[in-house]
Amino acid sequence: MAQRELVGIDVGGTFTDFVFVSHGRMRIHKSLSPDTRHEESILEGLSVLGVPDDAALVHGTTVATNALLERKGARTALITTSGFEDVIELGRQQRPELYRFSQSRRAAVIPSDLRFGVEERLDEKGQIITALNEASVSEIIERLRNSDVESIAVVLLFSYQNADHERRIANRLTEAFPGIHISISSRLIPEYREYERTATTAGNAYVSPVVARYVRALASTLGSRSFLVMHSGGGSVDAETAANEGARLALSGPAGGVIGAFEAAKRAGISSPVRIITFDMGGTSTDVCLCDGSIPLTSEAIVADLPLKFPAVDIDTVGAGGGSIAWVDDGGVLRVGPESAGAFPGPACYGQGGARATVTDANLILGRLDVNTPLGDGSIKLHKEPALQSLEMLGHVMGLSVYETALGVVRVANATMERALRRVSISRGHDPRQFCLVPFGGAGPLHVCALASALEISSFVVPEYPGVLSAAGLCAAGVVFDRSASLIAGIDDLKADPAPYQRLRDGLKREVDAYMHAHDCKGDIEWSVDLRYLGQSYELTVPIEPSDDPVRLDEASAAFHAAHEQRFGYAMEDFQVEMVTLRARGRSKPRPWYPSSQHNPDGVGGAASADHPVWFENAGPLETPFIHRDELLPGEQLNGPAVIHQMDSTFLLEPGWRLRVADNRILHCTRTPDSSTVR
Amino acid sequence: MGTTLQRTAFSPNIKERLDFSCAVFDAKGRMVAQAAHIPVHLGAMPASVRHVLDRFEEWKPGDIVLLNDPYAGGTHLPDLTMVSPVYAGDSGGPVFFVASRAHHADVGGMSPGSLPLSTEIFQEGLIIPPVRLVSGGSMNEELLEVLLSNVRTPIERKGDLAAQRSAHTVGANRLKKLMDEFGFEEIEAYASHLQNYSEARTRSTIKKWPDGTYEFEDAICLRVNGIPTTEVIRVASTIRDDTISFNFAGSAASGPHPFNAVQAITESACYYVIRCLSADDIPVNDGCFRPIEVTAPEGSIVNACHPAAVAAGNVETSQRIVDAVLGSLAKALPTRVPAASQGTMNNVTMGPVSPSGEPFAYYETIGGGMGASADADGLSGVHVHMTNTMNTPIEALENAYPLRVRRYAIRRGSGGSGANRGGDGVVREYEFLDETRVTVLSTRRDSAPWGRNGGSPGLPGRNTRISQEGVERELDSQFSEIFHAGERLRIETPGGGGYGQAGPE
Repeated sequence: MAQRELVGIDVGGTFTDFVFVSHGRMRIHKSLSPDTRHEESILEGLSVLGVPDDAALVHGTTVATNALLERKGARTALITTSGFEDVIELGRQQRPELYRFSQSRRAAVIPSDLRFGVEERLDEKGQIITALNEASVSEIIERLRNSDVESIAVVLLFSYQNADHERRIANRLTEAFPGIHISISSRLIPEYREYERTATTAGNAYVSPVVARYVRALASTLGSRSFLVMHSGGGSVDAETAANEGARLALSGPAGGVIGAFEAAKRAGISSPVRIITFDMGGTSTDVCLCDGSIPLTSEAIVADLPLKFPAVDIDTVGAGGGSIAWVDDGGVLRVGPESAGAFPGPACYGQGGARATVTDANLILGRLDVNTPLGDGSIKLHKEPALQSLEMLGHVMGLSVYETALGVVRVANATMERALRRVSISRGHDPRQFCLVPFGGAGPLHVCALASALEISSFVVPEYPGVLSAAGLCAAGVVFDRSASLIAGIDDLKADPAPYQRLRDGLKREVDAYMHAHDCKGDIEWSVDLRYLGQSYELTVPIEPSDDPVRLDEASAAFHAAHEQRFGYAMEDFQVEMVTLRARGRSKPRPWYPSSQHNPDGVGGAASADHPVWFENAGPLETPFIHRDELLPGEQLNGPAVIHQMDSTFLLEPGWRLRVADNRILHCTRTPDSSTVR
Repeated sequence: MGTTLQRTAFSPNIKERLDFSCAVFDAKGRMVAQAAHIPVHLGAMPASVRHVLDRFEEWKPGDIVLLNDPYAGGTHLPDLTMVSPVYAGDSGGPVFFVASRAHHADVGGMSPGSLPLSTEIFQEGLIIPPVRLVSGGSMNEELLEVLLSNVRTPIERKGDLAAQRSAHTVGANRLKKLMDEFGFEEIEAYASHLQNYSEARTRSTIKKWPDGTYEFEDAICLRVNGIPTTEVIRVASTIRDDTISFNFAGSAASGPHPFNAVQAITESACYYVIRCLSADDIPVNDGCFRPIEVTAPEGSIVNACHPAAVAAGNVETSQRIVDAVLGSLAKALPTRVPAASQGTMNNVTMGPVSPSGEPFAYYETIGGGMGASADADGLSGVHVHMTNTMNTPIEALENAYPLRVRRYAIRRGSGGSGANRGGDGVVREYEFLDETRVTVLSTRRDSAPWGRNGGSPGLPGRNTRISQEGVERELDSQFSEIFHAGERLRIETPGGGGYGQAGPE
């Protein structure tokens, strides 16, 4: 395949990032995200970069996420088994907060007057107890006629065992309301647990029309250009699939970041297995993800109070970012976040009227950000005076100096991020010291040395463009098409009678093959299976070879015992293993997308390095060189302290750390030998 | 630690409903940290560790002590608690203890699920005083055999005990890792700072409240030997400077019914209320409890003595203690205290009647309405106050047991009206596919969750038996009956009270 030109476009809350890869060169562009009509700013960005019409576009979008967060999805109806219309509202009957008398929840995505019970019932094996009453379907259709709905979800009890009733209802609906969006649980996510399946299906029906409108507007703006859309599972799909399965896009952006980091690690020469922890620190939150040889997936993602069972890159998010506000609690302790100053008024140093100190203000006062370098596309200039005032005010409460206060703010924010890093590593049985950190996002590289030290991680790599890595990840992601289905049966039973397993597998294979073929993607299907000990309720996903040889089932069992041991510290080899869900993932061959050699891109900085005082923990101010990233030459080595700045991010190399510039401009950082015992 | 227990357990009660807690204690038995899902375990976990430390002086690495005796550190028999020591390097004795408590689906006794209509504790199941289940890393197989011989579902119990044991291994390993990294002294100092911090914040909260003594009484309506009775829970709450004390003098004497609570439960309820009235980011540890004193007369329903039956003290009486304490504090903090919530957990236990069938013991509790507050409507269909367990998915339930859920819905209109509405209760209707013994322990059937500041009370709950022909018969708030195939049980749970006068519509 000829190397096509590629563009990754990541629309975030504040900025829209572009990465354009063309003829061995990579160029970036960053513009402020407009409130509406994203498609026009995308077109503008493409023209700024001079992207030709036949370049491949991959798009990451928050449109589904925002529709869920703000509950601004389509007017949607739910048809479910009579008697269970409230399952979606009851959830798992937990209150969100354990110790609070006043609580509220986001409203259910489908209000009670649009939830309809249909007369039918299956048992746990999928056998019919009450046949579908067609008259009750007709009645619902009549009531729907005047209800002004744009979208309908169909979820019946035990439909993952027998999809017939759901299919018949869907056919009736298609007939009655041609063109309306219909999400059917047995087609979308045929897995057991009625609440989670209902939430996923309803969530999908709720956001898909919004996603559909968006991708259609984008398609019409882009004219002859075609584009793919990134989904939560770490791959892209065509626009039509995205429009029908909109809820799959809920973690589109963060997934792009993890792929970008994984690819950067490979380019940095981290040999297989790639063992990294990605660390994406943005304005309001920080996303971390541990990759132990591959990008981890979960089927338990929760977005805006809604569990979504689609495979999603397994990311842990904490409310600490550059804009997180620092405050003193009634016990006199300094706290940071989760409240954020957002984009407006933003940190005090943005000079837009923000008065409360944020992490960014602390970094500025500590000399870690250059007041003379505006952020992003140059629209945000940094002001020292308001930052100083905000920290003085905070320090006054605690009786601390401005610098002590600023160091405290950074320390507390770091502690929050450290907890997230511990959750994905130590809490799951991984030793973080065996992993390489990959910092990105606007602020990740500023905090990476402190976090690496806290976790005793001895090396990390800083990608070329940390501030737009999510967009770069979009370029790298291939097409990924996921399908799954439940079959609850003991492995021994399946070995004795493999027919149900084979039927399930063949059905999934047909569906995935058809998609890959229709979209001209070559590639293999990756198979995995969710297993548990008979009687348990939670499964672990392990790979499985899809052949008919029963040995493959035993191999999967063995992998499950090992995974159980790794995750929980013990295995029970004499217990029966049970299969729950089979998963098929069609994946196109990875794109040969990245330029093999990288010369200096546009905007080579002319600014000479100058020394500024930078404050460090236990060291006071140290004269520290400020260097533009483009001035670093391949092969160059540098000992901390140093501040490396570039248009999209700032990197703080602390004392005790050394960097080496690789040929591809990636920065390899290691702890200097004499500092290995310093914490 | 908690994740390990949840993800690897076998009882639906632990794995789906998360009816368990884990905690870390210092060498003196003071709670350093708790991963609580269940507030009723707040004061009960420290009581367990206290009893274990009193009884055992010699420890070895790899020991695990097991207990459930309510009169020796337990609360009710299905809650099996494990306590194990953690060592720092190879120096001397234990420096920390980890504890876990999980509600096991059956521990024997007179009815499946071990929450019976009992009159003395011996009917409620196997009583386990603090004993070493694991000694120096090796399982006491003979003890385990005694245990498993006394329960209805031994295989499930064995899996759950393995999961609970592995949670201890994980907890101990994490603590050791921390100590390797930072050194024991630093961890110990931090643990002590953390407790002092929580204490300081709790005290500064109480200090802002008006000094004085505030009284209130609530009650649970029971049937004792077939005769309806009303058992009073009375409390005088005294705020003085930065401390608060709760005196339960005047509460009913314990009786021949399972609604007696041991003192640890009463303490949990008081700690819970103070925790909710404090800022919600205060770490939960021993420091939170130091400004709080709880006095309850011995032999009363809120400080029962051996051999009183206690199965429902943990799950029902605890809720009414919260109501009584809240009622008293409403007089001091009129805008901070919400209306009463459903005030029950609606405990449903079931198991087969014929001994030849596949044995099972199933337990679940059902959410209801939360009381409205000055700031918000009450939530509908949630667990309130002393518990927060999840429901078991219907698709999991019917896959495992011979029953069918016919309806699971919000009980619309059951929340009390007011400026802010109380949350609605739940309707859950079961159809039995086989002859099944069902035992229900519920309250707030004969009394309603009260409203506040002019808000209306929520609707009381109702338990109804429906014959194969569809004939309905209302059941008591507590009953144990055999249901035949095709018969149904409908449980309607109470709504929460409203808050403030409802305005004109």
